[in-house]
Amino acid sequence: MKSICSLLAALALSSLTTLAADPEKAVVQIFTFAQEADWDEPWKFSQLRRSSGTGFIIKGRRIMTNAHVVSWARQLMVKRYQDPRPYLARVVFVAHDCDLALLEVEDSLFYDGVEPLEFGPLPKVRSTVVTYGYPAGGEQISYTRGVVSRIELQTYAHIGNRSLLGVQTDAAINPGNSGGPVIQDDKVIGVAFQGMPGLENAGFFIPAPVINHFLDDIKDGKYDGFPSAGIRTAPLQNAAYRRKLKLPDNDKGVRVDTILPGTPAEKVLRPDDVVLQVGNYPVGSDGSIVYEGNRMALAMAVQEAQHGQSMALKIWRDAKEQTVAVPVEVSSTDKVLGNQYDTPPRYFVYAGLVFTPISLDYLKTFGRGWSDTAGAELTYELFYRRQESPKTVRSEPIVLSTVLADGVNANFRTRGRALVDKINGIRIERLEDVIRAFESPSNGQHVVEFLPKNTFECLERESADKANANILKTYGIQKDRRL
Amino acid sequence: MHSRHDDSASRTSRPALLHPSSFILQHLALALALILLCQRAPAAPASDWESSLVYIEVTRKAYEVFQPWTPKSRTVQKNGLVIGAREILTTAEELSDRTLVRVQRGGRGKWWNAEVVWLDYHANLAVLTAKEDGFWPGLKPAAFITGKLPKEGLQIVRWRSGNLEARKAEFNQFLVEDARLSFFQHLQLEASTEMQAVGWAEPLVANGKVAGLATGQGGNNARFLPASFIEPILAARKAGKYPGLGFFPFTWTPVENPSTFKFLKLPGDPRGALVVDAPATPKVEPNLKPRDLILQVDGFDVDNQGYYRDPDYGQLIVENLGSRRKFAGDVVKMKIWRDGAQMTLDYRLPKLDYSVKLLAEQTFDQAPEYLVAGGLVLQPLNIPLLRGFGEDWKRRAPFRLAHYAGEPTSAERSGLVVLTSVLPDPYVVGYQDARFLVVDTVNGQKISRLADVQAALQTPQDGFHTIEFHRGDNLRRIVLDAGLMDAATKRILERYRIPVASHIAVK
Repeated sequence: MKSICSLLAALALSSLTTLAADPEKAVVQIFTFAQEADWDEPWKFSQLRRSSGTGFIIKGRRIMTNAHVVSWARQLMVKRYQDPRPYLARVVFVAHDCDLALLEVEDSLFYDGVEPLEFGPLPKVRSTVVTYGYPAGGEQISYTRGVVSRIELQTYAHIGNRSLLGVQTDAAINPGNSGGPVIQDDKVIGVAFQGMPGLENAGFFIPAPVINHFLDDIKDGKYDGFPSAGIRTAPLQNAAYRRKLKLPDNDKGVRVDTILPGTPAEKVLRPDDVVLQVGNYPVGSDGSIVYEGNRMALAMAVQEAQHGQSMALKIWRDAKEQTVAVPVEVSSTDKVLGNQYDTPPRYFVYAGLVFTPISLDYLKTFGRGWSDTAGAELTYELFYRRQESPKTVRSEPIVLSTVLADGVNANFRTRGRALVDKINGIRIERLEDVIRAFESPSNGQHVVEFLPKNTFECLERESADKANANILKTYGIQKDRRL
Repeated sequence: MHSRHDDSASRTSRPALLHPSSFILQHLALALALILLCQRAPAAPASDWESSLVYIEVTRKAYEVFQPWTPKSRTVQKNGLVIGAREILTTAEELSDRTLVRVQRGGRGKWWNAEVVWLDYHANLAVLTAKEDGFWPGLKPAAFITGKLPKEGLQIVRWRSGNLEARKAEFNQFLVEDARLSFFQHLQLEASTEMQAVGWAEPLVANGKVAGLATGQGGNNARFLPASFIEPILAARKAGKYPGLGFFPFTWTPVENPSTFKFLKLPGDPRGALVVDAPATPKVEPNLKPRDLILQVDGFDVDNQGYYRDPDYGQLIVENLGSRRKFAGDVVKMKIWRDGAQMTLDYRLPKLDYSVKLLAEQTFDQAPEYLVAGGLVLQPLNIPLLRGFGEDWKRRAPFRLAHYAGEPTSAERSGLVVLTSVLPDPYVVGYQDARFLVVDTVNGQKISRLADVQAALQTPQDGFHTIEFHRGDNLRRIVLDAGLMDAATKRILERYRIPVASHIAVK
């Protein structure tokens, strides 16, 4: 037993010697004071929430942290290692899809005597890493050590609807660690960002390829995000399907099953094209590539590109190989299908009727069972119509989210949470149409029609116009719209 | 909004049947309680019912939803009432897929074979008979209350462990709600009682006559088919003139907004139920249209909440007028307001039919359809299949499947077929994770029924079967070797011990 313990100690020491002498000097604690938007009553914000996370100073006098540490921030304060003084900070760039953000502190004193941390490569599986951070339960910086358990695409919980490269480690990553550096060989090889309920000893960090993509993206002064190819693929492992496509019965190539409506891929790819290679990555019949020695979904290869670039795809079509260039873009619809931050919802209030675009955040106001019957039509509209009936899709489906009670609308049977079809005969494609419709001539009455059951409500125009300002005042709504 | 597609109405839950053996230990204590309660009940003595009330035992097939080739056996016991010469009335529930029906008189002793001579699942009523003469001596028909039902002196009677149990029932309300076994709404009577596990056709009686038959219980509140609902059906049946129940397939909504009446140009006081949807199926001619206001039905004024004043039962929703002494094919006279003018409409009630909906509500007396084709398990998408996800299937079933339940049929698709699972085999390698996908086409042919799949599989294309699923967020297409399918199916049936590759109803 003694010899084993000695060996472990020796290994530990040898690992420690590879770390920077004092990287913790560049590790900061971030205090966030945030107010989240209310998606049901969109002029409102939640109570002020206080939370803390971790960040680290990188070159260019910037602090890197997680987007979720600074979302909806009204004020950010950072404290350096062993320094009692708080410094005010601001967000310079935030990338909610990859959960990263860059902050800056105006006070130049903040950067005195600190060596910024540098980034390293994607670590190897089984290699040792150390996390630095300020997890809950204490005031002092905390270090945890672990090994890289696996490297693959992970769902990024902050945005909820994206899977990007993530690294799992058994180093403890707890609330408050978020945004802290994960270090190996003196270099930052990741940013701690999430755990997984139900999995013991499993923390996740954002690795260098994702961080580098983010840093490259913002070089033009704005953040676009991670693009996607606009296709859904299906494994091509059934011998009959391969034979039908006149493909050799081997483990190469994945089939294009669906091309997402409205994406550039529609002009280039066809269902039943077989993707043999993306960029320099040969594609397996299960849709995987080998990336830095790790087998993972081919989406990884697409995510290496920046928004607006083209990916060279070697495909099999009509029993021949050919190469096509597929433009990759950040999907604008992804935004409403994921969790949104920092930009409060658009809305328009007229005569107590509150109109706002449908989004995942809006549906979540229904509570935990938001996809149940109460929200079934709205759920279908948001998640399924686009794919099933692209020709009937509205660019921004609008809901009557709530009705602020007033004499003018007191007899409405529809009290909210209803999908709007038409107002005064005008089909509502987006929020601006609601305003235009109410401003259009209406024969003395406004008629608001809802889906899917053709219910409608009428409103006396003159009384509604008169009541409008009073209702806004009564309910403390400073502006009747946010566009 | 009131809608016959709206399942939000509360529904009494059916208690699990307590097997008689489970009562044995409670029997003595219960007997004492029964005596005390019976003494308090002012109605006719329970013993009067011994010669009319019979006990029924039904053995039936039940099926595992997702392995429909394996029937199981289920036995339930319920109550029946002698209603005429060699006829016993009971509820239709649990009589589907029956393999053996037996009846017992006096609550104990010999069981006699019986058979169903008439049954209507929508009405939830059935008539049985026993062929053997020895069963009938001493049994007397029960009489139904005709006309207005009383609210006082109600009792529930049933056989329990060989004794007649009678308990007082307190009238709560008349209400119009979803039928127990169908999607239409009709008059029901709710009464509270201390009797437990009610819902097995126990008669509700008053003054020696039958006021209703129990269909379910939630807490202490039991639901009954009222005599006024049952009796006209039995009379029509007896006369050989029962065409089945009709219903209102349209959807209406109450209107409280004076602006809406102004928009509809209706003068005078607010009134009428506003039609918001009149589906294309079942076909009704002449039909209502969205934005019609129903002002009067069969002479009853309809208020703006969609209620009318029933002379016997007070305020009831207009739905009741589709089954109030009316049957399928009967004309309901409506006074409606359409396009700024009043008009009359002879609305001919369409017949209740489970298949009128995109997803059939029930599939009684049919073994579940399925097709195992080379490892693909294909089944009709219907409500019984969705119930395989549990009583709360609306929450537990895959969202997209459950959503079809509220979608209408279309000219090109009267039903849906779903790939429920793939039985792993070398033949279907690559597809083993596919499940709960709705089939769009097979070899280019549109699919509405399982028989369509079977027919389409007869015409492979270039030696392949191509199965396309509905556009959505799942797998869209699979291809199989047509020449190898039969051999694969045979192998898979043996491996998974499936007796027959398919059960498909004749198209």
